[in-house]
Amino acid sequence: MAKKYLLLAALSFTGVAHAAQPPSTATDPDGFKEPLKQLNFNPGLDQREFERSTLSALEVYDPLESWNRRVYHFNYRFDEWVFLPVVQGYQFITPRFVRSGVSNFFSNLGDVTNLLNAALQLKGKRSLQVGGRLVVNTTLGIAGLWDPATKLGLPKQNEDFGQTLGYYGVPNGPYIVLPIFGPSNLRDTTGLLTDYGGEAQINFLNVSQESGRHPEIIVLRGIDKRYTTSFRYGQLNSPFEYEKVRYVYTESRKLQIAE
Amino acid sequence: MLRPLRLAALLGGLLMSALTLSPAQARDIDAAGYGFPLTNPFEATIATTPPDLRPKLPLDEDIDQADYTLNIRPERELILPDNFWAVKKLRYRLAKQDHAAPLIFLIAGTGAAYNSAINEFLKKLFWQAGYHVVQLSSPTSFDFISAASRFATPGITSDDAEDLYRVMQAVRAQHPKLPITDFYLSGYSLGALDAAFVSKLDETRRSFNFKKVLLLNPPVNLYTSINNLDKLVQTRVKGIDSSTTFYELVLSKLTRYFQQKGYIDLNDALLYDFQESKQHLSNEQLAMLIGVSFRFSAADIAFTSDLINRRGLITPVKYPIREGTSLTPFMRRALQCDFDCYMTEQVIPMWRARTDGGSVLQLIDQVSLYALKDYLHSNSKIAVMHNADDVILGPGDLNFLRKTFGDRLTVYPFGGHCGNLNYRVNADAMLEWFRG
Repeated sequence: MAKKYLLLAALSFTGVAHAAQPPSTATDPDGFKEPLKQLNFNPGLDQREFERSTLSALEVYDPLESWNRRVYHFNYRFDEWVFLPVVQGYQFITPRFVRSGVSNFFSNLGDVTNLLNAALQLKGKRSLQVGGRLVVNTTLGIAGLWDPATKLGLPKQNEDFGQTLGYYGVPNGPYIVLPIFGPSNLRDTTGLLTDYGGEAQINFLNVSQESGRHPEIIVLRGIDKRYTTSFRYGQLNSPFEYEKVRYVYTESRKLQIAE
Repeated sequence: MLRPLRLAALLGGLLMSALTLSPAQARDIDAAGYGFPLTNPFEATIATTPPDLRPKLPLDEDIDQADYTLNIRPERELILPDNFWAVKKLRYRLAKQDHAAPLIFLIAGTGAAYNSAINEFLKKLFWQAGYHVVQLSSPTSFDFISAASRFATPGITSDDAEDLYRVMQAVRAQHPKLPITDFYLSGYSLGALDAAFVSKLDETRRSFNFKKVLLLNPPVNLYTSINNLDKLVQTRVKGIDSSTTFYELVLSKLTRYFQQKGYIDLNDALLYDFQESKQHLSNEQLAMLIGVSFRFSAADIAFTSDLINRRGLITPVKYPIREGTSLTPFMRRALQCDFDCYMTEQVIPMWRARTDGGSVLQLIDQVSLYALKDYLHSNSKIAVMHNADDVILGPGDLNFLRKTFGDRLTVYPFGGHCGNLNYRVNADAMLEWFRG
């Protein structure tokens, strides 16, 4: 009789113990939370999704690959031996407020093409925002040396002619690594040239005209561009950096066009 | 009458022995008081600490720092193909103080270079606190394997530590005028395991006499860790089908997120905001993402090691590689190889050939923290910080750390794998360990 009760008690006790321990927060006596137990695994552990995804990501149209790779290595060396040392010198001789002024100035200049391309894509709200940025930064920001527009809630939004073409369904075309400029494709290279052409026509703040007489403006713009671009060759630290950059470039352009 | 007395004596004796014999307890940080906001280990691993909870650190341009190169293995100039020109010499980064100061070496984690995000964070933290800082690549990283590794087959931790030690000595020799008061050592993830072995090596070589060593989220059993990481790409992810791959799934979520937001804004807070949005990733998807990043490391290691040793497993032995040669076919092959495959196909055969055989169990013992148990137990200059929810640990690993390190182990309740290193509380604790 007593044994029966004992058994019953023991059973109910284990029942309570089970109920009190939800499986998701189980920790072992060392305090280890076994994070992998929170996950649903494919029962056979033989899924090849990583391989499938990555193999399909390697399918980027790149008929000029051999040429592109050589330009890629040229850019890498140019960056190491010329571009980055120059940027370092620039950082050394200029105080920070000068550098940010330079960056803001060229960024404001770029808002002209951003505005044009937002308008060409019939994005009304964005055109108004970028137009507002231009007005505010050119006046209050004194020819764009400061960027009060961002503080007023008008963030920088990039639109280029490559994106406009993509917006209207023009495909990438072959992947191209441009000397010094870096990764691109046929569509975006066309866009780049068109944007520069447009900029020269508009001649906003007289910069394009003056650049013809003072090439140092173009040089400064190039240095500023490198100064504000955080990418470093070798940063991915992989023998397959070329493939990875190619994929990331292609996908990020898709994203920029879709957005 | 005697009985209660005897009982008291017994209890007293037990109490005494408990006080004197029980090992010092690890510091377990209380979840409520800790305040780390990401309780999901996978989110924490990917997103790390929200920006406003990180310590305030100097800007890069305010730090007196530069990259240097070492010509550790000149013969690689001839062995490596032309398009490896950038990794024929080993790079490291040194941030200097303008006065005599202690120097700390930082060792990066699996596959990571000297300038990895965590190494950069730690550099700023320690530089601000008055240290000279040397950032080193992991022995498993592409540049280190190519330029500094004798066997170019990382994974045998004692060999990796030996390679690191030579690099550290060369770094010291390259800056003879740098006024250094003491040497310190730290590393995160696999770099922490390396740091433990380097510290052990230094006990006999005595080039540095490290004053203190800190291991951040080390693997305990290397084999458990690589199996866990390999397993992460096996999660059952919703939304993948014959027409949508995992990357496409993640990218389409990102696109929708930006469309809803109205503009693209890439900043430190992006990941939290994204995870708060409707498009957030599930645990399985996050785990897959972590697994993917480690698989890419595995592919890089397998490819580089095979190429340098001319094993012919991935790259045909006499295949001509120039700057214009496509490596895509080899990438296709290398990415089929996970850590387990790399160990089985490359590390174990080399280790067997060099050490007259031995079982895999012996190898695991030799390359994991187990190999240093007595050293780590008895040496009060080495401490560990780890997380209770770290994905690289297995059952029993924390127990090993508790028994081995006693009160020199700090266990944080959250953080996943290295996700809380840049949390203010952790940063303070790191500085405190080296200061004390």
